[in-house]
Amino acid sequence: MATTEVRLTDDESDALDHRRANRGRHCWFLWIAGFVLVASALGYLVGNEVQANTQFDQAHRSLDAVRHRIAGVSLDLATVRHDLDVVNGQVAVGSTTLANDTSKLVGARDALATAQADVSRQSSAITSLHACLGGVEQALNALSLGDQSSAINALGAVSASCASVVGGNG
Amino acid sequence: MDSRRSRRLLGWAAALIALGIVSTALVTDLQAHARDRSEHRDLVAARHKLSTLRTDDKVTTYADDVATNHRNDLLVSIGSTLAQLTATQNIISGTDAIAFLQGVNIGTYETCLGGVQNSYIQIAAHNNAQAAQDISAVAGACSTLAGGTGDGLAYPFDFPDPDVLLVGDTYYAYATNSVAGNIQIIKSTDLTHWTALGDALPSLPSWATPDETWAPGVLEIGGSFVMYYAARVTGPGGGEECISVASSPQPQGPFLDMSTAPLMCQQSLGGSIDPSPFVDTTGTPYLVWKSNGGAGPSAIWSEQLDPTGTGFAAGTAPAQLLAPDQPWESGVIEAPDLVVSGGRYFLFYSGNSWKGADYAIGVAVCSGPLGPCTEPMSSPILSSGAHMEGPGGESVFTDVSGSFWIAFHAWAPGAVGYPNNRSLYLRRLSMTGATPVVQPA
Repeated sequence: MATTEVRLTDDESDALDHRRANRGRHCWFLWIAGFVLVASALGYLVGNEVQANTQFDQAHRSLDAVRHRIAGVSLDLATVRHDLDVVNGQVAVGSTTLANDTSKLVGARDALATAQADVSRQSSAITSLHACLGGVEQALNALSLGDQSSAINALGAVSASCASVVGGNG
Repeated sequence: MDSRRSRRLLGWAAALIALGIVSTALVTDLQAHARDRSEHRDLVAARHKLSTLRTDDKVTTYADDVATNHRNDLLVSIGSTLAQLTATQNIISGTDAIAFLQGVNIGTYETCLGGVQNSYIQIAAHNNAQAAQDISAVAGACSTLAGGTGDGLAYPFDFPDPDVLLVGDTYYAYATNSVAGNIQIIKSTDLTHWTALGDALPSLPSWATPDETWAPGVLEIGGSFVMYYAARVTGPGGGEECISVASSPQPQGPFLDMSTAPLMCQQSLGGSIDPSPFVDTTGTPYLVWKSNGGAGPSAIWSEQLDPTGTGFAAGTAPAQLLAPDQPWESGVIEAPDLVVSGGRYFLFYSGNSWKGADYAIGVAVCSGPLGPCTEPMSSPILSSGAHMEGPGGESVFTDVSGSFWIAFHAWAPGAVGYPNNRSLYLRRLSMTGATPVVQPA
C-alpha cells in the first residue's frame, strides 16, 4: 500500500496542536472528575461504614449490658423459683399437718365432751349418793334409838336421791 | 502513539482499581450494615427476653410472697391448732383424772351406803350386834367420805360421848347408845382402825328406859371393869336422867347392872348424867358428873368412890366443881373429865347446846379431885372448824407411850343436829403448858 505524505500548513498545524491541547485538557478533566467521583464514593462509603460500625458497637455494648442484666434477672428468677418451690413444699406439708392436727383436735374435742358428760353424770350420781347416804345414816341413827318417826322422815327426805342412784347405777 | 496508548491503559487500569476500591468499600459497608442490623435484632430480642424475664421474676416473686404468706398463715394456724390440741388434751387428762377419782368416790359411796343400809336392815330386825358389824366393816370407806383422818376422824358413824380405855395394848372406846345398842363399844390397837364389838351393855336394869342410855365412862379397878352411864328412869313418876353402874370382868363386856335404883340422881337439880371416873395419884377413885340443873344452871360435881368403884365412899357427899360462867358456855356445862398431870388437875368439860355447832370443849384448873375449880380461859380449847362442827362429849386418855389424847365427838359440816352422826375424833393433847392444848390432827 502506498503512503501519501501530507504536508500541513502552519494554520493546520496550529489547529491540530490546538485540538491536541484541548483533547489533553479534556482528558485531565476526565481524570480529575473520575478521581473526585471515586473519592466521593469512597468517602461516602467509608463514612457510612464508620457510622454502621459505630452503631454496631453501641448495639453490641447495649446487647452486652442487656445480656448481663438477663443473666442477673435469670439468677434472681432461679432463686425466687427455688424459694417458691421450697415454700410450696412447706405449704403442702403444712396443709397436711394442719389437716391432721385439725382432725385430731376435732377428735379430742369429741373425747373431751364425752369425758365431761361422764364427769357430769358422775357428779350428779355422787350428789345423789351423798344425799342418800346422809338420809340412810340419819334413819339408822334414829331407828337405833327406837325413833321410827324420825327414821321414816329421814328416809322419805332422800327417797328421790336414793331412787336416782339405784336407777343410775342399775 | 505509544504514549497515548500507555496513558489510555493507565487510565483504564486506574479506573479498574478505583472501581475495585469502591466495590470493596461498598461490600464492606454492606457487611457493616448487615452486622449492625443483626446486632440490633439481637439487642431487640435480648431486651424482649429481659422484659419477659423481669415479668416472670415479678410474677414469681409475687407468687412466692403469696405462698410465703400462705405458709406463714398455715404455720400460725398449725401453732394455734396444736396449742388448742394440747390444751384440750390437758383438759381431757384432767377430766379423766377427775372421772377416775369420782369413779373411786362413787365406789366408796356405794360401799359405805351398802354397809349402812345393811346395818339399817339389821337394826330393823333388832339385831344390834350384826348392825354394828355391818357398819364397822365399811368404816374405812365411810371415813374416807367424811374427809379421812385429816382432822382426827377415827370412826365415821354415830359414836357420841366417847370414853377410851387402854387395856394392855388394846384401846376400847365406849359411846352413847346408837346402832350397836345401849352402850356401843369398838376396839383398836393403833387408834386408827376400829372394829365394832357390839353392845357392851346388852341389858338394862328394870328401872332404866330402853334406848336412852348415854355417856359411859369405864374404870379398871380391883381386877374388874366398872362402867358408869346415864339412863332415864322409867315408869310413872320417873323421867329423870340418872347415873348407874355396871361391872364386867373384861373390858369388852358384857357389863351387868344389877342395880335396883340409880347410883346418883340429883332430882332436885334436874337429874344427873355424864359420869366420868377419875383415879387420883394416890389411887383413890372419884366420880365426876353433871347435874342437869332443873330450874337453875347445870353444874359439875365430884365425889369419892369406894374401893370397888361400884358405890360412893361412906361419909362422902357430892362437891360442886364448876358452874357455867363463860359467855361461850351459854349456861350449859357438861361431859366432865378430870385429869391429873404433873401434879395439876384439869377439868375438861363441854359447853353450850350439844345439838348445835356452838358446842365446844373448855378446861378448868382444879386444886384437887373435889375442887375448887376455876376457868383460866374465856374461850374453849376446841371448837368448830373447817372439817367438823360442835365438838364435845370429850374424854382424855393416855396411849401406850404415856402421851395424852383427847377423844370427842363432832358433827360433820352441814350435818349438824339429830339424827345426824356425831362421829368419833381423836387428837393429841399437849399438857406441858399452863393449860392443855389440843394438837392439830
